[in-house]
Amino acid sequence: MLVADTFKALGDPVRLQMIQRLSQSTQYTVGSLSAGLGLTRQGARKHLQLLADAELVSLQPRGRQTKVTLDATTLAHAKRFITELELQWDQRLLALKDFVENDVPTKQTNT
Amino acid sequence: MQDSIQREITIKAPKERVYEAITDPAQIITWFPDSIDGGLSKGDKPFLHFGEHDKTQIYVVAAQPHDYFSYRWVPGGNTFDGDIASVPTTLVEFRITETDGGSVVTLTESGFASLPADIIEASFKQNSGGWDFMMERLEKKFAEA
Repeated sequence: MLVADTFKALGDPVRLQMIQRLSQSTQYTVGSLSAGLGLTRQGARKHLQLLADAELVSLQPRGRQTKVTLDATTLAHAKRFITELELQWDQRLLALKDFVENDVPTKQTNT
Repeated sequence: MQDSIQREITIKAPKERVYEAITDPAQIITWFPDSIDGGLSKGDKPFLHFGEHDKTQIYVVAAQPHDYFSYRWVPGGNTFDGDIASVPTTLVEFRITETDGGSVVTLTESGFASLPADIIEASFKQNSGGWDFMMERLEKKFAEA
Protein backbone atom coordinates (compact mmCIF):
# COMPACT_ATOMS: atom_id res chain seq x y z
CA MET A 1 0.00 0.00 0.00
CA LEU A 2 1.44 3.36 -1.03
CA VAL A 3 1.35 6.18 1.48
CA ALA A 4 -0.22 8.26 -1.27
CA ASP A 5 -3.32 6.05 -1.28
CA THR A 6 -3.58 6.50 2.46
CA PHE A 7 -3.60 10.28 2.21
CA LYS A 8 -6.05 10.18 -0.66
CA ALA A 9 -8.43 8.05 1.39
CA LEU A 10 -8.01 10.36 4.37
CA GLY A 11 -8.54 13.53 2.34
CA ASP A 12 -12.24 13.81 3.16
CA PRO A 13 -13.91 15.31 6.27
CA VAL A 14 -16.41 12.46 6.71
CA ARG A 15 -13.75 9.75 6.49
CA LEU A 16 -11.43 11.68 8.81
CA GLN A 17 -14.26 11.87 11.34
CA MET A 18 -14.76 8.12 11.02
CA ILE A 19 -11.05 7.47 11.62
CA GLN A 20 -11.09 9.73 14.67
CA ARG A 21 -14.05 7.82 16.12
CA LEU A 22 -12.40 4.47 15.38
CA SER A 23 -9.21 5.52 17.15
CA GLN A 24 -11.23 5.84 20.37
CA SER A 25 -13.15 2.56 20.38
CA THR A 26 -12.98 -0.92 18.89
CA GLN A 27 -16.71 -1.53 19.28
CA TYR A 28 -18.07 0.28 16.24
CA THR A 29 -20.45 -1.15 13.67
CA VAL A 30 -21.27 0.48 10.33
CA GLY A 31 -24.45 1.86 11.91
CA SER A 32 -22.97 3.33 15.09
CA LEU A 33 -19.89 4.66 13.30
CA SER A 34 -21.90 6.68 10.78
CA ALA A 35 -24.46 7.98 13.29
CA GLY A 36 -24.76 11.78 13.26
CA LEU A 37 -22.60 12.21 10.15
CA GLY A 38 -25.58 12.99 7.91
CA LEU A 39 -25.06 9.92 5.74
CA THR A 40 -27.41 7.42 4.16
CA ARG A 41 -26.57 3.79 4.83
CA GLN A 42 -25.39 3.51 1.25
CA GLY A 43 -23.24 6.64 1.60
CA ALA A 44 -21.64 5.30 4.77
CA ARG A 45 -20.89 1.99 3.03
CA LYS A 46 -19.21 3.82 0.17
CA HIS A 47 -16.91 5.76 2.48
CA LEU A 48 -16.07 2.66 4.51
CA GLN A 49 -15.34 0.59 1.44
CA LEU A 50 -12.89 3.26 0.32
CA LEU A 51 -11.18 3.18 3.73
CA ALA A 52 -11.11 -0.62 3.59
CA ASP A 53 -9.58 -0.58 0.08
CA ALA A 54 -6.86 1.72 1.42
CA GLU A 55 -6.33 -0.81 4.23
CA LEU A 56 -7.15 1.80 6.84
CA VAL A 57 -10.05 -0.17 8.32
CA SER A 58 -11.20 -3.80 8.46
CA LEU A 59 -14.84 -4.73 7.91
CA GLN A 60 -16.01 -7.92 9.60
CA PRO A 61 -19.56 -9.24 9.17
CA ARG A 62 -21.14 -10.10 12.54
CA GLY A 63 -24.59 -11.57 11.87
CA ARG A 64 -26.72 -8.75 10.50
CA GLN A 65 -24.15 -6.11 11.37
CA THR A 66 -20.68 -5.26 10.19
CA LYS A 67 -17.97 -4.52 12.72
CA VAL A 68 -15.47 -1.79 11.80
CA THR A 69 -11.96 -1.60 13.27
CA LEU A 70 -8.93 0.54 12.57
CA ASP A 71 -5.85 -0.86 10.81
CA ALA A 72 -3.08 0.83 12.76
CA THR A 73 -0.23 -0.31 10.48
CA THR A 74 -1.37 1.80 7.54
CA LEU A 75 -1.90 4.85 9.73
CA ALA A 76 1.60 4.38 11.10
CA HIS A 77 3.03 4.64 7.58
CA ALA A 78 1.24 7.92 6.97
CA LYS A 79 2.45 9.13 10.33
CA ARG A 80 6.01 8.32 9.34
CA PHE A 81 5.73 10.59 6.31
CA ILE A 82 4.65 13.46 8.56
CA THR A 83 7.34 12.66 11.13
CA GLU A 84 10.06 12.85 8.51
CA LEU A 85 8.86 16.24 7.33
CA GLU A 86 8.81 17.41 10.94
CA LEU A 87 12.39 16.25 11.46
CA GLN A 88 13.45 18.09 8.33
CA TRP A 89 11.86 21.31 9.59
CA ASP A 90 13.44 20.83 13.05
CA GLN A 91 16.78 20.65 11.33
CA ARG A 92 16.17 23.79 9.29
CA LEU A 93 14.85 25.80 12.23
CA LEU A 94 17.87 24.83 14.32
CA ALA A 95 20.10 26.07 11.52
CA LEU A 96 18.11 29.34 11.48
CA LYS A 97 18.52 29.67 15.26
CA ASP A 98 22.27 29.04 15.07
CA PHE A 99 22.66 31.60 12.33
CA VAL A 100 20.65 34.33 14.09
CA GLU A 101 22.14 33.78 17.54
CA ASN A 102 25.75 33.38 16.47
CA ASP A 103 25.64 35.43 13.28
CA VAL A 104 27.69 32.83 11.50
CA PRO A 105 26.56 30.38 8.85
CA THR A 106 26.32 26.91 10.40
CA LYS A 107 24.89 25.07 7.43
CA GLN A 108 27.44 22.92 5.69
CA THR A 109 27.50 23.67 2.00
CA ASN A 110 26.67 20.99 -0.43
CA THR A 111 29.29 21.50 -3.07
CA MET B 1 -4.65 12.24 10.14
CA GLN B 2 -3.23 15.72 10.22
CA ASP B 3 -3.20 17.96 7.18
CA SER B 4 -0.43 20.14 8.52
CA ILE B 5 2.87 20.22 10.35
CA GLN B 6 3.64 22.75 13.04
CA ARG B 7 7.00 23.35 14.69
CA GLU B 8 8.17 26.01 17.08
CA ILE B 9 11.57 27.32 18.06
CA THR B 10 12.71 30.09 20.40
CA ILE B 11 15.54 32.28 19.18
CA LYS B 12 17.42 34.71 21.40
CA ALA B 13 17.13 37.75 19.13
CA PRO B 14 14.62 40.51 18.39
CA LYS B 15 11.95 39.60 15.85
CA GLU B 16 13.30 42.16 13.36
CA ARG B 17 16.56 40.20 13.24
CA VAL B 18 14.77 36.86 12.82
CA TYR B 19 12.50 38.21 10.08
CA GLU B 20 15.56 39.48 8.23
CA ALA B 21 17.28 36.09 8.43
CA ILE B 22 14.23 34.46 6.84
CA THR B 23 13.42 37.03 4.14
CA ASP B 24 16.78 38.47 3.07
CA PRO B 25 18.06 36.41 0.10
CA ALA B 26 21.65 36.92 1.27
CA GLN B 27 20.80 35.48 4.70
CA ILE B 28 18.34 32.69 3.88
CA ILE B 29 21.13 30.85 2.05
CA THR B 30 23.04 30.43 5.31
CA TRP B 31 20.40 28.10 6.75
CA PHE B 32 18.04 26.88 3.99
CA PRO B 33 18.88 26.67 0.26
CA ASP B 34 22.48 26.78 -0.93
CA SER B 35 21.70 29.70 -3.24
CA ILE B 36 18.74 31.69 -4.54
CA ASP B 37 17.77 33.36 -7.84
CA GLY B 38 15.26 36.15 -7.25
CA GLY B 39 13.77 38.11 -4.39
CA LEU B 40 11.66 37.23 -1.35
CA SER B 41 9.05 40.00 -1.53
CA LYS B 42 5.33 39.37 -1.90
CA GLY B 43 4.57 38.01 -5.38
CA ASP B 44 8.18 37.00 -6.12
CA LYS B 45 8.87 33.57 -7.61
CA PRO B 46 12.52 32.88 -6.85
CA PHE B 47 14.35 29.63 -7.54
CA LEU B 48 15.97 27.92 -4.58
CA HIS B 49 19.04 25.82 -5.34
CA PHE B 50 20.02 22.74 -3.35
CA GLY B 51 23.42 21.32 -4.11
CA GLU B 52 24.68 21.59 -7.65
CA HIS B 53 21.76 20.09 -9.49
CA ASP B 54 18.51 20.58 -7.58
CA LYS B 55 16.43 23.72 -7.82
CA THR B 56 12.80 24.51 -7.15
CA GLN B 57 10.59 27.55 -7.60
CA ILE B 58 8.61 28.99 -4.71
CA TYR B 59 5.90 31.66 -4.74
CA VAL B 60 5.95 34.27 -1.99
CA VAL B 61 2.36 34.71 -0.81
CA ALA B 62 2.90 37.24 1.97
CA ALA B 63 5.75 39.18 3.56
CA GLN B 64 4.71 41.35 6.51
CA PRO B 65 7.67 42.79 8.46
CA HIS B 66 8.41 41.63 11.08
CA ASP B 67 5.64 39.17 11.92
CA TYR B 68 4.72 36.91 9.03
CA PHE B 69 6.19 35.34 5.88
CA SER B 70 4.60 32.65 3.72
CA TYR B 71 5.23 30.89 0.43
CA ARG B 72 3.90 28.08 -1.73
CA TRP B 73 6.11 25.01 -2.05
CA VAL B 74 5.96 22.13 -4.52
CA PRO B 75 6.31 18.97 -2.43
CA GLY B 76 8.56 16.47 -4.07
CA GLY B 77 9.90 19.32 -6.13
CA ASN B 78 13.54 19.73 -5.24
CA THR B 79 13.91 19.65 -8.99
CA PHE B 80 10.68 21.41 -9.91
CA ASP B 81 11.22 23.70 -12.92
CA GLY B 82 8.02 25.18 -14.27
CA ASP B 83 5.21 27.57 -13.43
CA ILE B 84 4.43 27.06 -9.75
CA ALA B 85 0.92 28.47 -10.22
CA SER B 86 0.04 25.48 -12.40
CA VAL B 87 0.78 22.68 -9.90
CA PRO B 88 -0.50 21.60 -6.48
CA THR B 89 1.44 23.03 -3.56
CA THR B 90 1.64 23.18 0.21
CA LEU B 91 1.62 26.49 2.10
CA VAL B 92 4.64 27.19 4.30
CA GLU B 93 4.16 29.90 6.94
CA PHE B 94 6.55 31.55 9.39
CA ARG B 95 5.00 33.48 12.29
CA ILE B 96 7.27 35.49 14.56
CA THR B 97 6.18 36.69 17.99
CA GLU B 98 8.22 38.43 20.64
CA THR B 99 8.71 36.78 24.00
CA ASP B 100 10.83 37.36 27.09
CA GLY B 101 14.38 37.65 25.86
CA GLY B 102 13.76 36.61 22.28
CA SER B 103 11.39 35.57 19.52
CA VAL B 104 9.25 32.50 18.93
CA VAL B 105 9.16 31.27 15.34
CA THR B 106 6.16 29.09 14.51
CA LEU B 107 6.48 27.14 11.29
CA THR B 108 3.40 25.65 9.64
CA GLU B 109 3.30 23.57 6.46
CA SER B 110 -0.25 22.69 5.42
CA GLY B 111 -2.23 21.14 2.59
CA PHE B 112 -1.07 17.51 2.54
CA ALA B 113 -4.48 15.87 2.45
CA SER B 114 -5.57 17.68 -0.70
CA LEU B 115 -2.46 16.89 -2.75
CA PRO B 116 -2.77 14.41 -5.62
CA ALA B 117 -1.48 10.91 -4.94
CA ASP B 118 1.54 11.02 -7.25
CA ILE B 119 2.79 14.27 -5.72
CA ILE B 120 2.58 12.87 -2.19
CA GLU B 121 4.45 9.79 -3.30
CA ALA B 122 7.22 11.92 -4.82
CA SER B 123 7.28 14.07 -1.72
CA PHE B 124 7.51 11.04 0.50
CA LYS B 125 10.50 9.78 -1.42
CA GLN B 126 12.16 13.18 -1.51
CA ASN B 127 11.70 13.84 2.17
CA SER B 128 12.80 10.49 3.41
CA GLY B 129 15.80 10.72 1.09
CA GLY B 130 16.48 14.21 2.38
CA TRP B 131 16.41 13.06 5.95
CA ASP B 132 18.77 10.16 5.31
CA PHE B 133 21.13 12.61 3.68
CA MET B 134 20.96 14.94 6.68
CA MET B 135 21.60 12.09 9.10
CA GLU B 136 24.62 11.07 7.11
CA ARG B 137 26.03 14.57 7.22
CA LEU B 138 25.34 14.80 10.93
CA GLU B 139 27.09 11.52 11.63
CA LYS B 140 30.03 12.60 9.53
CA LYS B 141 30.26 15.83 11.47
CA PHE B 142 30.42 13.98 14.78
CA ALA B 143 32.91 11.47 13.46
CA GLU B 144 35.22 14.31 12.49
CA ALA B 145 34.91 16.12 15.81
